[in-house]
Amino acid sequence: MLIAIRDLHRIYQVGTEEVHALNGVDLDIAANEYVAIMGPSGSGKSTLMNLLGCLDTPTSGSYRLKDHEIGSMSDDELARIRNQEIGFVFQTFNLLARADAIHNVELPLVYAGIKHEERRKRAREALEMVGLGDRMKHKPNELSGGQRQRVAIARALVNRPSIILADEPTGNLDSTTGEEIMSAFERIWQQGNTVIVVTHEPDIAQHANRVVRMRDGKIESDTVNERRAARTVPA
Amino acid sequence: MNLRESTGIALTAIRANKLRSFLTLLGTIIGVASVIAVISFVEGLNRFVADKLIDAGSNVFVVDKYGFITSNEAWEQAQKRPDITPEDADALRAGVQHAKMVVAHSSTVERIHYRAKHVDGVNVRGDGPGYEVISDYTIAEGRHLGEIDDQHRQLACVLGPEVADDLFPGADPIGKQIRIGEQTYRVVGVTRAKGKMLGQSQDRFAVIPIRTFQKYKAERGSIEINIKSLDQAALPVAIQEARNILRGRRHIAPGKPDNFGITTADTWLEFYRTLTGGIFVVMIGVASIALVVGGIVIMNIMLVSVTERTREIGVRKALGARRRDILTQFLVEATTLSLAGGLIGILLGVGLALVVGAISPLPAGVNGFAIVLGIAMSSLVGIFFGSYPAFLAAKLDPIEALRYE
Repeated sequence: MLIAIRDLHRIYQVGTEEVHALNGVDLDIAANEYVAIMGPSGSGKSTLMNLLGCLDTPTSGSYRLKDHEIGSMSDDELARIRNQEIGFVFQTFNLLARADAIHNVELPLVYAGIKHEERRKRAREALEMVGLGDRMKHKPNELSGGQRQRVAIARALVNRPSIILADEPTGNLDSTTGEEIMSAFERIWQQGNTVIVVTHEPDIAQHANRVVRMRDGKIESDTVNERRAARTVPA
Repeated sequence: MNLRESTGIALTAIRANKLRSFLTLLGTIIGVASVIAVISFVEGLNRFVADKLIDAGSNVFVVDKYGFITSNEAWEQAQKRPDITPEDADALRAGVQHAKMVVAHSSTVERIHYRAKHVDGVNVRGDGPGYEVISDYTIAEGRHLGEIDDQHRQLACVLGPEVADDLFPGADPIGKQIRIGEQTYRVVGVTRAKGKMLGQSQDRFAVIPIRTFQKYKAERGSIEINIKSLDQAALPVAIQEARNILRGRRHIAPGKPDNFGITTADTWLEFYRTLTGGIFVVMIGVASIALVVGGIVIMNIMLVSVTERTREIGVRKALGARRRDILTQFLVEATTLSLAGGLIGILLGVGLALVVGAISPLPAGVNGFAIVLGIAMSSLVGIFFGSYPAFLAAKLDPIEALRYE
């Protein structure tokens, strides 16, 4: 199993009060699944995403990613896992404003310690894959919202991570562009990647094969998306 | 990690905000520039003075009433000592075996007249025979004063070229009668020009025989005796001989202190070094204050930068940057900033030293050490004052940083 989560708790201290953001979550995700995590705000889906993305560590319980226990890792080890295993796509794109597209895509490879020429080559390939081969020297403010998000997807893919983790990836886009981005995820999934999308929009969740619904820090339902599951999973 | 990237980011930021960068770096620029300039001046001055002192008085020591006095009490004490006389000089000339030359000297400043003309502020020197060796005068016209002039208390003089030019423009000075005080002197020689030392002309003087000087200028005044030893090795021996002779003439019991003074060029050089050492310390202090202020400004700018770029830091962390990657990035940026200030400061300091060296008599010796020091100081300022902002950036929580608006 790629991801194995057992009885995961995350408690925040807000003033004197304890907030149980996650209250006993069990979740398994296999390689090359396409999962949507849904839920209203305050349901704990953001907390779950932060934990899945190794940005945070659980208060108790176990999160094993490729058989590595995340809870016991140091900051530097977490940074390495984020670099090697996770590809983030954010709602607000989070590109570096001063850097052009190719530099943005190269960034994970910089922290992976990969040499300059190799970085350039892989970043170019990733940008071509999202259809931005002709926009490599453009700064984010010279790109449309959809193009920016595709740069961010290329950045998420460039270091060949185990999981693509997208947090409301279409939240800042109009619906047409949103569809474009979702079909990009579709292609990525078809190429054999594991995709996890956190969203509160049912339309977006419908692209996934499996929908996990959260409420009050727990998993409320975990269902196979009938309409989508019929698709053949590539070998 | 990516040193080139961080340096690039910092340089882009400097270029993008020229005025802000200049103001940010002003403290560092001033600090480094003043350190470079001060080191250059003190260096140049040291070399210059050492050259001149050694040049003027190699293996020379001076016997006089006072010696090297640095306090008022010592001065009052020394006033009660017996005067040094031309007879003392004669005794030393006869007795100091390791001396090449023993020359009595005294001086005053007076006006010199020639017919209707006059020159003010002339250094009138009473010198014993051999003065030309001690004072390094070469004759341009006529002759030097000699033994006979001294013995017969002749009213004869040798003029410095500046005085000669002022009194006799375009005319031959030799044989002219000039008046110094009440007496009329015959000009027997003019020396070659020596130029200026620390802005003071060395050519504005008139030499008369020491005994003439004693007779007309300072009957009861004390003189000084310049003694040149045979060579470097003989200098301490000659000093000892001179001491013994004077103590004998003055009947000073063994164990009692000398009632006369002996100074060498080294004494002056040492005193001079203490003096410039003081200037040096004060200026380094001023420069340090400028550097600390400059460092605080850089720290402030870096703190602003960390806040402005909180989200960027979050993104970098999400993409796999470790704490030390972020730390390095911000340290490199701070250091790039301060180094830029340092380099401008070095150029400014060197420029200042060269300009002042060119338009004033003060020489400036720009040396490699000062430049290395400037670079080292400015990088240290960047590293030291960049540490805290860089540390704050490195320890940011990635989730909070990503959420930062």
